[in-house]
Amino acid sequence: MPLSLPRLMIDRRTALLAGAGLLGGGPVPPARAQGAGAGALYGPDDPQARRGGTLTVAIANEPPNLDPFHQAGDARTAVTLLMYQGLMYEDASGVAKPLLAESMAVSDDGLTYTFALRRGVRFHTGRTMTSADVKYSYDYVRNPANGSPGALDFGTIAEIAAPDENTVVVRLSEPNASLPMTLTNRFGGVVPADTFANPQARARLSQQSVGTGPFMLQEFRPQSHIRMARFPNYWVQGQPYLDGVLFSVQPNAASVLVALRSRRVDLALLARPQDAEQLQGQAGLTITATSSLRQCSLDLDGNHAQLKDPRVRQAIALAVDKNAVMQASIGGKGKVLGTIPAAMQESWGAPLDALPNQRTDPARAKALLAEAGLPDGFGIDLISIIGFEWMDPAGVTLAQQLAPLGIRLNIQRVELGVWLNAYRSRNMRFTFNDWGTQPDPHILYYRHFHSPPRGADFRNWNNAEGDRLLDAGMATADPARRKAAYVDFQKVLDASAPTVMLFSPDLVTVAQQRVRNYVQHPTGWWFGLAKAWIAA
Amino acid sequence: MIEALLRRIGAALVTLVLATGVVFLLIRAVPGDIIGEMLGQSAGDPASEAALRAFFGLDRPLTAQYLAWAGDVLQGDLGTSMRQGLPVLGIVVDAFLVTLEIGVATLLLAILVGVPLGMVAGARPGGVADMVVEGFTLVGLSAPVFWTGMVLLILADGWLGWSPPLVYTPPDISLSDNLEGIALPVLALGLLQAAAYAQFTRQQSAALMRQDFVRAARARGLPARVVYGRHLLRNIAIPLVTYAGLILVQILGGVVVVETLFGIPGLGRTLLAAIQGRDYPVLQGALLLTVVVALLVNLVIDLTYALIDPRVRGA
Repeated sequence: MPLSLPRLMIDRRTALLAGAGLLGGGPVPPARAQGAGAGALYGPDDPQARRGGTLTVAIANEPPNLDPFHQAGDARTAVTLLMYQGLMYEDASGVAKPLLAESMAVSDDGLTYTFALRRGVRFHTGRTMTSADVKYSYDYVRNPANGSPGALDFGTIAEIAAPDENTVVVRLSEPNASLPMTLTNRFGGVVPADTFANPQARARLSQQSVGTGPFMLQEFRPQSHIRMARFPNYWVQGQPYLDGVLFSVQPNAASVLVALRSRRVDLALLARPQDAEQLQGQAGLTITATSSLRQCSLDLDGNHAQLKDPRVRQAIALAVDKNAVMQASIGGKGKVLGTIPAAMQESWGAPLDALPNQRTDPARAKALLAEAGLPDGFGIDLISIIGFEWMDPAGVTLAQQLAPLGIRLNIQRVELGVWLNAYRSRNMRFTFNDWGTQPDPHILYYRHFHSPPRGADFRNWNNAEGDRLLDAGMATADPARRKAAYVDFQKVLDASAPTVMLFSPDLVTVAQQRVRNYVQHPTGWWFGLAKAWIAA
Repeated sequence: MIEALLRRIGAALVTLVLATGVVFLLIRAVPGDIIGEMLGQSAGDPASEAALRAFFGLDRPLTAQYLAWAGDVLQGDLGTSMRQGLPVLGIVVDAFLVTLEIGVATLLLAILVGVPLGMVAGARPGGVADMVVEGFTLVGLSAPVFWTGMVLLILADGWLGWSPPLVYTPPDISLSDNLEGIALPVLALGLLQAAAYAQFTRQQSAALMRQDFVRAARARGLPARVVYGRHLLRNIAIPLVTYAGLILVQILGGVVVVETLFGIPGLGRTLLAAIQGRDYPVLQGALLLTVVVALLVNLVIDLTYALIDPRVRGA
């Protein structure tokens, strides 16, 4: 549907705020000025960096394909963000910063976002990026007929306009403070206009990249490797420092350890953080642990058996000793959670002492069960997903912890595809879960916990107060008020326990000494390669 | 002979058609589909899901889907992978060639090691050689391939400071890189199959050693080379060839373990990924290829009997 282009209106306040750099990082000098303004993106610039060399990275999970719009999996985003870039960048601090945009301005009513585009940005195809490409890309994602999993995130966009080559105006149907984070690198990549006009486009994206990122696709051999080469016309002059990156798919964790020891692999993120112990003291290897945005959790379906009663869910939450579960599952290499993943606790988390159900309290748990008419407990299936190693020891530990309440767990292991099918049809029951997010509370909570059709409420929580607070958080631009809404939301989450977030496993990165200036992003994605380099 | 061959081919074709139908229905009976893999936990928008179902043709009735697929297959088109968007034929043939190379190399290793061991052991049942071979057989058969592979990997790393290359290189690009890449997987699989071969050969030769014609040959003072080479080997050749066929099919089926351990892009891992991602066209294509290969191997074995044993030719 063609969109009319109303006159661009930015009020004085917006212009002043933008000018003062108070909105989304503020205006940035032209990109070609030696990457000024890009300095903080992806990691620090390194004046000592040497150009050249190919870095070999071991990855455990292979992306099914490299299509930035149709594949939601983390394994896809983790690598495609080196080839495709959004208007914004999900900074580790939890703030979206301009990436392909040079600056962003928001109207007073929070309904109009105006982006000034970075000049001279080229696609891997050789063409220069314009506002028409941005409009095309985002219109494509938000149109449900195109089947992008990002459509729901883009749902508040009413219209996208490209009044001139270097300006994009996004108008919303209602205020959405998370819009900048939505336009980051998960589904917010920009591709040349008409990319999908070719019916073969989806297949071609696994053979040839068309984005603006620092690396371009050289070869994708499923079950084996992804090879990327430096994009010579990248908009930050002199970057990336590496000539190429080779992602080698190594599904077996032990093989990765051996490859690290024998220096076949330069860099790896350990699938099992506890494996770091096997590499301790190994000369030439640097091991770093970073808090992650991933959460290993226990989900309680509000439509399922005894879990329908909030008191039963609370009792379970109170009986769980999260630290013991984490010790058993990943050797303690992570952070115990309250109601938000570890890397967001500081920026968006409710203080743990404000969440009464996050402390182990067997006596209260027992009383709640009795109140719910189940003084002797009950038997229930706990679903664990095959291939997620931490779930097996966690299940055994949990069974021990719930036994004193008389809750008898029968652990059922299901295959991931079967599990996803149940999840999609909102039939989660009582299950372990393992998921990650971008560092924004709206993106973290809304789809999962808001009732349909605006959210998906996979756990059949059906909580009106939760909905109201999620809507308030979305509509509020002021950071302090926004945080207050999400803190209140977390209190509701804590009180009625549709989920028990157990722990965030640390991102344990192992690098050979020759790898320099690699910074691990809390998403676990490979942003850091854009600025890494290899010492001689 | 030709009539028998035609009959066999006819039966093989019927088997093939039945197998494709069963495979088609079975994989669709498993809960979940490609949409689940694509959306993951970003599901929740019914309109997007419906659009994807239509894109992949999953909204059509099963019979229409099967007939469309079968029609394409008859024209040599195995369809397009739902995950990668690439032609299935290319994906499965590439993967199959990798697995076939490992399979054939493993079989060669198993024959070269297993047959002589089995013959030596079978020549004097209960002797020292027999006991040593029996020990080898016991270890080889009872050690899971995954474990053997891990041990080889750790030993190579610890003793030689060497580990296999991370990326599989096809032999036509670089033979040395290729051999470096498949060495450990072939050793890991080969140990098991050599043990199986040694055990089988031992039983066959031990039985033959008791036969009159062998005893007569030995009594006549014929050199061991002639007794073993001409009399024994020729008589156990047919069961050994049958066994080779069985083992090859078994290797092709079980290679997924070493492919996962050593990161090799073979048919096993391709199948596994297709099952996990519910990539129906790849699954159907890969299984079709597997069935065709299994039927072909059996056919070739039947023909080989005829070459080895003149009595079979008339049958």
